[in-house]
Amino acid sequence: MTNQNCGQAAITLLERYGVDTVFGMPGVHTLEFYRGLVASKIRHIAVRHEQGAGFMADGYARASGRPGVCILISGPGLTNAATPIGQAYSDSIPMLILSSVNATEDLGKGRGRLHEITSQQTVIAPLTAFSRTVYKAEDLPAAYADAYRIFEAGRPRPVHVEVPLDVLAGPAPALADRPPSVLPLMPDGSLVEEACALISKARRPVIVAGGGIIDHGPALTALAEQIGAPVIPTIAAKGAMSNRHPLCVDATLSLPQTQAFLRSADLVIAVGTELGGEADCWIDRLPIEGKLIRIDIDAAALTRDYPPDVAIHADGGATLAALAQSVGSSRSQIGAVDVARLRAEIRNSLPSLQRKHMLILEALREALPRDGIVATDMTQLAYSGSYHFPCEQPRCWFHPVGYGTLGYGLPAAIGAQLAQPHRATVAIVGDGGLLFTVQELATAVELGLPVAVVLWNNNALGQIAEGMKERGITEIGVRPRNPDFIKLAEAFGCRTAQPSSIAAFKAALESAFKADRPTLIEMREDAVFLGG
Amino acid sequence: MRTVGMYLAELLEAYGVEVIFGIPGVHTVELYRGLPNTKIRHVTPRHEQGAGFMADGYARVSGRPGVCFIITGPGMTNIATAMAQAYADSVPMLVISAVNALGQIGSGEGWLHELQDQRQLIKQVSAFSHTVMTPAELPRVMARAFALFAGSRPRPVHIELPLDIITAPADKLPPIRAIVPPSPPAASPSALQEAANWLNIAKAPVLLLGGGAQDAGSFVRAIAEKLDAPTVMSVNGRGLLPPRHPLAVPCSPSMPPTMKLIEGADVILAIGTEFGSTDYDWFEQGGAKFNGKTIRIDIDAQQVVRSRQPDLPIVADASEASSALVPLLSSAKRDGAARAAAARDAVLADLSRTYRACLHLMETVRDALPGAVLVGDSAQPVYAGCICYPSAAPRSWFCSATGYGTLGYALPAAIGAQLAAADRPVVCLIGDGGLQFTIAELASAREAGTPVIVLLWNNNGYGEIKTYMVSRQIHPIGVDIFTPDFQVLAKGFGCEAVTLKKPSDLPGLLREAAKRKTATIIEIEENDYVANYEG
Ligand SMILES: Cc1ncc(C[n+]2csc(CCOP(=O)(O)OP(=O)(O)O)c2C)c(N)n1
Ligand SMILES: Cc1ncc(C[n+]2csc(CCOP(=O)(O)OP(=O)(O)O)c2C)c(N)n1
Ligand SMILES: [Mg+2]
Ligand SMILES: [Mg+2]
Repeated sequence: MTNQNCGQAAITLLERYGVDTVFGMPGVHTLEFYRGLVASKIRHIAVRHEQGAGFMADGYARASGRPGVCILISGPGLTNAATPIGQAYSDSIPMLILSSVNATEDLGKGRGRLHEITSQQTVIAPLTAFSRTVYKAEDLPAAYADAYRIFEAGRPRPVHVEVPLDVLAGPAPALADRPPSVLPLMPDGSLVEEACALISKARRPVIVAGGGIIDHGPALTALAEQIGAPVIPTIAAKGAMSNRHPLCVDATLSLPQTQAFLRSADLVIAVGTELGGEADCWIDRLPIEGKLIRIDIDAAALTRDYPPDVAIHADGGATLAALAQSVGSSRSQIGAVDVARLRAEIRNSLPSLQRKHMLILEALREALPRDGIVATDMTQLAYSGSYHFPCEQPRCWFHPVGYGTLGYGLPAAIGAQLAQPHRATVAIVGDGGLLFTVQELATAVELGLPVAVVLWNNNALGQIAEGMKERGITEIGVRPRNPDFIKLAEAFGCRTAQPSSIAAFKAALESAFKADRPTLIEMREDAVFLGG
Repeated sequence: MRTVGMYLAELLEAYGVEVIFGIPGVHTVELYRGLPNTKIRHVTPRHEQGAGFMADGYARVSGRPGVCFIITGPGMTNIATAMAQAYADSVPMLVISAVNALGQIGSGEGWLHELQDQRQLIKQVSAFSHTVMTPAELPRVMARAFALFAGSRPRPVHIELPLDIITAPADKLPPIRAIVPPSPPAASPSALQEAANWLNIAKAPVLLLGGGAQDAGSFVRAIAEKLDAPTVMSVNGRGLLPPRHPLAVPCSPSMPPTMKLIEGADVILAIGTEFGSTDYDWFEQGGAKFNGKTIRIDIDAQQVVRSRQPDLPIVADASEASSALVPLLSSAKRDGAARAAAARDAVLADLSRTYRACLHLMETVRDALPGAVLVGDSAQPVYAGCICYPSAAPRSWFCSATGYGTLGYALPAAIGAQLAAADRPVVCLIGDGGLQFTIAELASAREAGTPVIVLLWNNNGYGEIKTYMVSRQIHPIGVDIFTPDFQVLAKGFGCEAVTLKKPSDLPGLLREAAKRKTATIIEIEENDYVANYEG
């Protein structure tokens, strides 16, 4: 241990925190981390672009609930991962980004060093919970401890720890054991009572549940049943409460029907959600007109935009459980019947393109085991799925909600499959989005991962083409000349399928899940079996 | 109603912008409304990183800023690496982006594409970054951007427009007009006289030229010839003296023989060069000692004293200063050709067989395709090129191994270069690892009809890093990667692909590729080429 250097110690410390996988691409600047990796049990996943590493770490984190870890070179390695870090920030995903940075004596001097950037930290800090420079090796353990405190008990978000080249190659710090885990923040008793008082008066209580309760489905379901409150999950909360539960609405906050339903509530309990503007609802403001109880682990999120009547700064799960325990009888007059009516109303008014999507999504649901994972990109097929794809378990549907970037689906599915090797894993991508990170097919082939990549091909940046049309703007740049995706996938060594019926699609999925490498399944929007 | 977005398109046209690179998104559609009424061409990459690299390649070949339209958030974080590469290599670029509406910026309310502070990030990779808070600012900030490109150290400029500003009426804005570009700063006559005095009595002067001198070719050549001074060119300064010029030292100042030449100089005249480590100190051992007096000419007042403090700092544009210096110099023989040859020959003699093969490859391109632009990534042949490739002319050889040192640059940059030089062959020199970073841009090449020639140096892995691992006694990990079938891949993108059977076939393959209307990948197995080339 004593003749380790700081780079090796950084890896030993990861092991103590139970990290089993890291994503990265080595470079001259990170060699000393790799010296540590060689001797460790941690698996290193070599990617084709650091953006892939970031999205894989995100998929890994969403699938496992544990932070995804990346090791990146100074400068371009880190800026290449800026978008995934930004995505994880906006969706509250725990991620630990370890990087090098130029030597202490070179920092900020504009000397034209290799991989130099004016201030690397200034670039990354706004995308993270915090970014820390380890100026002295002794600072390293504290940086990890602070990061894990946030992952465990705060609002999880990416943390960046950068080690200057001279420190990285210098002597290791003394390594203590991992500090004890931090308990989640418990709700204040009197606030719980205030909330219960509101609940017991409510005739039309509705719960809006966000990604913050993803692991507290049982507490959420119990409270909903007890107080007779329908639950509207956000996309990030899909599956925490089973979509098949009679009180569970689809993640349709952006649809006018669901918004009308919400408007009729005389009490909204918003838990673990930022009640995100456009990203989840595509409107400026949600119609919250009755009383509002907000529960969040992040104090700043409690009052943002929608001033609450009761604000509880605490862990979502613990608070839901406390409410269930203290709340008396319910006067709720809404319930399963209203939810069923809302669902029917939504289903019956689907536009024709979404009906096509539903054919595919329903087949996918049938072919995919209950615990199967779907990582999606910014494609129209995925938008429909975010609303309507039923999930019975949490951590099964991933979508780049807030930051809304393209290129997420494929690498996130790879990360998820690595975290859950025995669960069927699907990526849903558009023709535009796939090309953002298509090179990671090589990574998936190298690892022999049976990811099923469902490509929704409409030969367009469909969402944007629609936007231009609606606004009377001449179409520019939205009808790209596409490659032959089947050839492309074959060049990467993937299996391929171009199903010509729904049955063939299901069969393609089922054999993909059993394969020894990824399968690209191309679905064309103009396919005859989808109605042309 | 004419919106600010429409006004912007016309304004860019007035500034002579010919091409815009971008992927439209919900946040930028309104920037596209006015575009069809202009002569500006729009090129769509497959990732915003591609947009940035294309703009960079376009700018390096044309000398004019590459322009991009980019969405808020992910579009901007995607282009960050490309802006950083351009920042480090002083390449002019104009990145116009959206940002959340006024009142939403920085609110943390979870708006689509929201960042805590987009400009905080982007400021680090731009000369300046500006948010247009009122329509009236737009023509003013544009004037500032183009003044910067014309009159100071060129670097990316970022202008962001909140969503509600893009759609605001432009009726109160002044008529469309481009500013008269400011003339670049000239040198102080007395400082130049002082420089001339030192140089005229020097016994063994040496010239160090960087990318800042790219457009001062005829003047720096006259200076070199009058002084009979060996002329060392950094990667971005290569080609300022042509390959067979007796005074040319197209060799990296990191190489020991070049260092020796510099250390033997009694006066060093450095023009437009930042003394960055990727040129001057690749091995990070301190670089050459400057034993003589140093005169440094740079357009950037901070740069002129950065890294190495000169005895005589002169802040001025390279062309202005060198043209004024020429008549102050008297001609004298100083054994320049012999000194230059000694350095050049020794650098060549020290090259490994692999690097000699790489150099042979590049010279084959230069000779088979006269006038070609060579765009390098960070791969073995590119490193060899950085060490001693004698480029035929300035703005004809550049790469991403300098400065920021990123991967995946060369393919999109070559596409941008081709758009700036439709009648010249453009050759992209890239490794199998680097090519995978931005491979999707083959689709853009196909769509834009840019027949770039991709010389793919395949060693099935991250060769450079593997070498480093081995030399540092680290068991190679993460470097022997699975490599796709590039032949099928290229064809899937609608491009041509061939494999090189023997090195002597290369000129023929290059000439065939240059006649095509589509991009061609010529795949070269590193081991084959190194074993079989005859040089
Ligand atoms: C990095 C990034 N660039 C641009 C956008 C804007 N954008 C959102 S959806 C979309 C279209 C994507 O096309 P495709 O993947 O084919 O999906 P489709 O809408 O056609 O289903 C675009 C360009 C974005 N969200 N992220
Ligand atoms: C964005 C980025 N990631 C990682 C690196 C570190 N790096 C430098 S060279 C190199 C290997 C590139 O492989 P390839 O393009 O095949 O070139 P080769 O050295 O094998 O010829 C790597 C990974 C980098 N420079 N930039
Ligand atoms: Mg599409
Ligand atoms: Mg290689």
